[in-house]
Amino acid sequence: MPKERIKIALTKGRVEQQVIPLLEAAGIDCSLVRNKKRRLIFDSTSQPYEFILAKGPDVTTFLERGAADIGIVGSDILTEHQSTQYELLDLGVGECQFVLASTSDFDPRAPRRKIIGTKYPLITQRYFDQLGQDVEIIKIEGSVELAPLTGLADAIVDITETGTTLRENHLQIYDYLQPVSTRLVVNRLALKQHQQAIYELVDRLAAVVSSPSSKESVK
Amino acid sequence: MLQHLLPLGTRDEFGNRAQTKQQLISVIQAHFKQRGLAPIATPLLENEAVFDPYQMGNYQLYRLLGNEGQTLVLRPDLTLPIARFISATKVPLPQKFSYVGDIFRVSRQLSGSYNQITQAGVELIGYASLKAELECLTIAQQLSAEVIEDAVEIELGDAQFAQRVVASLTDAPQTQRAILTALFNKRVPQYQALIAAYQDQDLYPFLREWPRLFGQPEDVLQRLAAAPLPATVQPSVTRLTRVVNWMRRTMPDQAVSLDLSSQAPQKYYTGLTFRGYSQAGAGYLFSGGRYDQLLANFQADPEPAVGMGINVDLLTSLATAQRSPQTQQLIYFEPEQWNQAEAYLAKQPYASLSLAPNIVAAKQETQRIGATLVDLTGGGANA
Repeated sequence: MPKERIKIALTKGRVEQQVIPLLEAAGIDCSLVRNKKRRLIFDSTSQPYEFILAKGPDVTTFLERGAADIGIVGSDILTEHQSTQYELLDLGVGECQFVLASTSDFDPRAPRRKIIGTKYPLITQRYFDQLGQDVEIIKIEGSVELAPLTGLADAIVDITETGTTLRENHLQIYDYLQPVSTRLVVNRLALKQHQQAIYELVDRLAAVVSSPSSKESVK
Repeated sequence: MLQHLLPLGTRDEFGNRAQTKQQLISVIQAHFKQRGLAPIATPLLENEAVFDPYQMGNYQLYRLLGNEGQTLVLRPDLTLPIARFISATKVPLPQKFSYVGDIFRVSRQLSGSYNQITQAGVELIGYASLKAELECLTIAQQLSAEVIEDAVEIELGDAQFAQRVVASLTDAPQTQRAILTALFNKRVPQYQALIAAYQDQDLYPFLREWPRLFGQPEDVLQRLAAAPLPATVQPSVTRLTRVVNWMRRTMPDQAVSLDLSSQAPQKYYTGLTFRGYSQAGAGYLFSGGRYDQLLANFQADPEPAVGMGINVDLLTSLATAQRSPQTQQLIYFEPEQWNQAEAYLAKQPYASLSLAPNIVAAKQETQRIGATLVDLTGGGANA
């Protein structure tokens, strides 16, 4: 087993599915993660990487506390959780967009204090601060689309990839906020402790990400 | 039901950890005393205005209301209170100060971080020569070698280097800030987009590799020498070269690196910066540098100053993990054997007097706390 160990916290679910092909194209053996069953931690004997599968917000916590050296997580979560770690690479997958959406009768210019439902209160607050509007924000953990449909909120701020879920729930987009994609983030001290090994991985992944053919093959 | 609960982000310290921490503090204080540093203690509570120059980052202050409605804070830092003390008392300078104390910073709730941190430190106030930086580095090197087994790497930087390079690119403060923020946080995609505006400049190849401008000093200095840097950064490069050469000569076994792509710990830093870390630690063990603008918040006349803070809690975590816990000895004796018990106690570092009324109770006490029993009464010793 290589002596130097790099702990990579990978967001489980869709990010995991999209990033594993990139890692494999970069020459990293992900067979243990592919055949994970119910396990959440995978220590390879042939390479210097140990993988941890975690939910996105937990990936940022692992990184902040130094329990992981590298995190692979969406930029939506990094912004919302005010990550202070190094964001070295945009992996170019998981691309989507923050939007302001609501039912067709919503008037974004209506002169009243709006109620906004969202999983992302900080991003929502910053957006309305920029507009100079004071809004009431309701934190919702899942199925944010329900908020305007049930009258819980006037509108929502959420991420969308194709807009299909919004359309199917009879919601329309009123404004576009920042774009989102999956990022490779490194703990500040870990970059000093494992400079060569981490940059070697980053460079291999960067080559994959910038190569149109490799990127196409992992889609 | 709050009577058993601690506020979030706080902890009790007991047993092996508390013992290790006390020993570390004793070693650090003895080292400071041996070097002739004057101990100073400032209050936990200060007026909020003392910390106006302090950048809290993602932390918050603990705020309280004073009798007259003024905002008081639990100190988040130990350097600015010393600056306040110097300015208020006009204590003759130069002087070398040392301190050990707790600071308080409210971190993100439920993040696992502690809000009360014990820090030790040194402030060399009124010293303009590079010798002040060198004394701080010597203290950092000697103390880390003395208190932890892991090798510690000392990383040198410069508080002005990045600002001066960026100032040579653009006069627009907003653009300067954007580039520096992206550089310091190594938000590489954002940084690359920002520097694209300078593709035609000779400095562009340097700008591209700047986020990676850290590591072995000889390598970094070579890359600096090859870059068409503005003349304004030359004093920084010369100073770093001198310090690296001095460290190579004076402490040849000390691992040293340079980082010219990181932010200074606070905005009042003006010159050389340094930090130390080990392979095992999840944070910097010490951090410091020159801050000639330290007194700017308190008085018109600046004073040259160099200082550093040592994270005693992180040192304690490393030292506790490295030390195997010592088994305690309990000394059982009759009251008339008190002097004999005292003499035994004085020779044993991990012993304590058993205050049990009889040998049976002493044996029970010993068993409960996992200690060994020394019976001075001669009636069945070492139960």
